[in-house]
Amino acid sequence: MNNKVILLVEDNPDDEALTVRALKKNKILNEVVVARDGVQALDYLFGEGAHAGRNTKEMPQVVLLDLKLPKLDGLGVLRRLRADDRTRLLPVVILTSSNEEQDLLNGYGLGANSYVRKPVDFDAFVAASAQLGLYWLVLNEPPPRRV
Amino acid sequence: MLIQIQERDGALQSARDQLEQRVDERTFQLATANKELESFSYSVSHDLRAPLRTIDGFSHALLEDCADGLDEAGRTHLNRIRAATQRMGLLIDDLLNLSRLSRTDMHRQSLDISTLASSIASDLRKAQPGRQIELRIEEGLKATADPGLLRVVLENLLSNAWKFTSKRASARIEFGMTPSNGTPAFFVRDDGAGFDPAYADRLFGAFQRLHAMTEFAGTGVGLATVQRIIHRHGGRIWAESAVDRGATFYFTLSEMVAQGAQQ
Repeated sequence: MNNKVILLVEDNPDDEALTVRALKKNKILNEVVVARDGVQALDYLFGEGAHAGRNTKEMPQVVLLDLKLPKLDGLGVLRRLRADDRTRLLPVVILTSSNEEQDLLNGYGLGANSYVRKPVDFDAFVAASAQLGLYWLVLNEPPPRRV
Repeated sequence: MLIQIQERDGALQSARDQLEQRVDERTFQLATANKELESFSYSVSHDLRAPLRTIDGFSHALLEDCADGLDEAGRTHLNRIRAATQRMGLLIDDLLNLSRLSRTDMHRQSLDISTLASSIASDLRKAQPGRQIELRIEEGLKATADPGLLRVVLENLLSNAWKFTSKRASARIEFGMTPSNGTPAFFVRDDGAGFDPAYADRLFGAFQRLHAMTEFAGTGVGLATVQRIIHRHGGRIWAESAVDRGATFYFTLSEMVAQGAQQ
């Protein structure tokens, strides 16, 4: 496992705590940066606003993106990421409550790499996090770093 | 004479215009209602499950982090909270699926309903390999229906038959077609627990259950789902049963009469 950051875009503090807990239970020790709305997420990724000056050559290993977010929603974030050369290839996993067809279609249509529905059962959520961690942090080869 | 005809034409034209306007209005109202329903289930899907995750997740955390401070009773209480939370999650999912059924497009085609029933039954057998079930499926029956939706109908009826015979050492489950009162109808029959016919009208309501949850599991949405699909196909569904004497569910799909005659 590498030490790259996981960007968690999540506005619900309970879900944030539970996601961090689930990752920890699976011994995933990567730093988790939390953005609580879509604008914060873009600020982090593009080194703007509160994150002005961040080295944007360092991108997270994976972005865990909720769909329902204050200000700019998840699909809006995804649209901006795919339109920008710096984040066009950044792995994005939609991690959300719904499995509404329109969310799935829009998510994949805008270039999400994966779509995972958060289960109600916490044991199932821990199991899902283990697989997500193993896949995106260990198995998956990320796009080459820009120079 | 000419003036009279012209007057009549004028009256007809204005009646037609009024009708068209009313159709437009109703269509608009229907479209609005549909859209509202869609956004309602969209927010149910997103917002109603989130608090359940919190309840389940933190009950789990309590069980783990505060294990020393909890005695057996405390752990039992928390496990009950978790079980109820997860059950509500299932109820929400079932309800969403039910509401989706009314919104999905239907594509009817002619299909072999016997083959469909056999494939579902073999999945059910694999899921519970220990059960002694004598299965009889009438071969070569054809139906005109949406394949995905018809599968949901048969999955529900057959898995109900599996479920309500589960207290029997051995069971008999049948699928076939019968000329019921002259109209050919498909049926799924079992020799399981059955139900009291006095409550038959409650069978097809959402969240209606005729058995205690400790007796047979389920959310009570299955038959409501089945009925909605059958109605969308222009068919009918009904059931016959007596307590401990098994149950038979009959259903028709439109165009059944013509097909029945051919066979």
